[in-house]
Amino acid sequence: MNARGWRRVLELLPRYLVLIPFAALFAFPFYWMVVISLGTLQSVFVFPPILYPLMHWENYLTALGLMADPSTGDYLNIPWARYFLNTVIVATGTTGLVLITSVLGGYAFASVPFPGKTLIFGLVLAVYMVPTEVTLVPNFIILAKLNWIDSYEAQIVPFGASVFGIFLMRQFFLGLPKDLWESAQLDGSGHFRFLWLIAAPLARPPIVTIALFNFVASWNAFLWPLIVTNSDSYRPVQVGLQAFSYADATNPVLHAAGSLMVTLPILIMFLLAQRQIIGGIAASGIRG
Amino acid sequence: MISPAMTLLIVFVIIPALWIFWLSFQRWDLISGTSDYIGTANFERLLLRDDVFRKAVWQTVYFVAGTVPTSMGLGLFLAVLLNKPMPFRNFLRTVIFTPYVMPIVSTALIFSFIYHPDVGALNAALNVFGLPKVRWLDSPQAIMPAIIIYSVWQHTGYNTVIFLAGLSNLPPELDEAARVDGARAWTRFWRVTWPLLSPTTYFVFLINLVASFKVVQPILIFAGGVGGATSGGGGPDKAAETIGYYLYVQAFSFFHAGYAAAISVVLFLIILAITGLQVGFFSRRVFYR
Repeated sequence: MNARGWRRVLELLPRYLVLIPFAALFAFPFYWMVVISLGTLQSVFVFPPILYPLMHWENYLTALGLMADPSTGDYLNIPWARYFLNTVIVATGTTGLVLITSVLGGYAFASVPFPGKTLIFGLVLAVYMVPTEVTLVPNFIILAKLNWIDSYEAQIVPFGASVFGIFLMRQFFLGLPKDLWESAQLDGSGHFRFLWLIAAPLARPPIVTIALFNFVASWNAFLWPLIVTNSDSYRPVQVGLQAFSYADATNPVLHAAGSLMVTLPILIMFLLAQRQIIGGIAASGIRG
Repeated sequence: MISPAMTLLIVFVIIPALWIFWLSFQRWDLISGTSDYIGTANFERLLLRDDVFRKAVWQTVYFVAGTVPTSMGLGLFLAVLLNKPMPFRNFLRTVIFTPYVMPIVSTALIFSFIYHPDVGALNAALNVFGLPKVRWLDSPQAIMPAIIIYSVWQHTGYNTVIFLAGLSNLPPELDEAARVDGARAWTRFWRVTWPLLSPTTYFVFLINLVASFKVVQPILIFAGGVGGATSGGGGPDKAAETIGYYLYVQAFSFFHAGYAAAISVVLFLIILAITGLQVGFFSRRVFYR
């Protein structure tokens, strides 16, 4: 390395000396999840704790119910596959629905004149101020009236429209050149045809951002599914994991294995798409 | 074209948001669905006679005061350090941000083991520094700090990312000019960066404030079973009771929908007051542009 390179390293060194320990602190719980999940019931109750993983991979087989739990001799019977399937159905369904409502709504607010538009868009923005926590009770009553308690619909439909999504799509469509629509009109195409064939395919970046955000949010959803599901047939994996940790409170090794299985898919997805996700978060902050 | 979105927003957000005001004047059993009008009785009980709610209000304020400044300060500190082209910058940012997008059930489960009084990693770390063991989740003094630490861990990365975006939008010339004038890094930060960053800081502050005031999920996971399920959880001596969690318990453990709606109204008014500040602020900002 040349002199300039060394100077740069020396200049940056204090930053790294602060940043690396902090990054280690932030990453520690994930590392700890791995360490505990690969330990034994004895090894994780040692003080001070053993800081490296013991590589008992069979814990995962036990957590999945493929191997008897050595401490009790019983097979765990947790319908992980069902939970994961439920989560995938809910996350995909919610994401799909949000995309449809956001693209249609965002396009209409950007490009279609209709009476009361400003007022209705103001109403949409006002919705942003209503946190889901506040509407838990009436929403539960509405779902009960619809006979949707313990169903996929209960976990998908209430989250099917997103103010953030509508807003993002509207911003994008507002930025489209007007002559695109004018020439499409000359060809005799209406709004739906134009949106489907030209505008929506151009809108890939915001569509990807909205899809990622909603997929992550519904994969991680916990409070609402806890309230509206009561059977394994519709429980998502988050609620399943919580039920598992409550039912068998004594075995942290298996909890850690379960936690890791639930975290891993979303972690991988996040790492693959981190540029879009972090970029989207940053953009939402700048735009407000 | 707007009807799919509007139908969903009206049925699942606007009607419920208005309905809580009507519900809060009812005695409404969530299981049987029976209801009768009882006037302001829910509010009288809630605001004048309910000791748990009073505790919940104070503990919520405690949680907000513990979480918001810490995760904002730390977020800004890390953003300033990362705001420079350097090797591994993206990697470090990703590591710090990751907790924000991870499922809360799994991370809270791991934290509850890190907080284990006898063999937990946190007490082991304290032990290294010669500090005594703390019964994190089962002592009334320590449970709220434990939940605050978890929330700071979870939220700091979000603040870092927003602050980084704000920092990268600042005109570099001003900082450069101050540097040429011989201002030290500390002075440059307080005199140049901090005032210019204030719109971002204000935005982050309000977002954090709203998110912390309505906190439910970490409380539910760390303290939902502590203190006995029949008593509604909330930790030893209800030390982790918050407004949002109390609302959840009243509605879905005790099925007092009317009473829970009254709590929702109070929480909603708090959030509206905070977002009202935000709207006022943004209309000013738009005006300046």
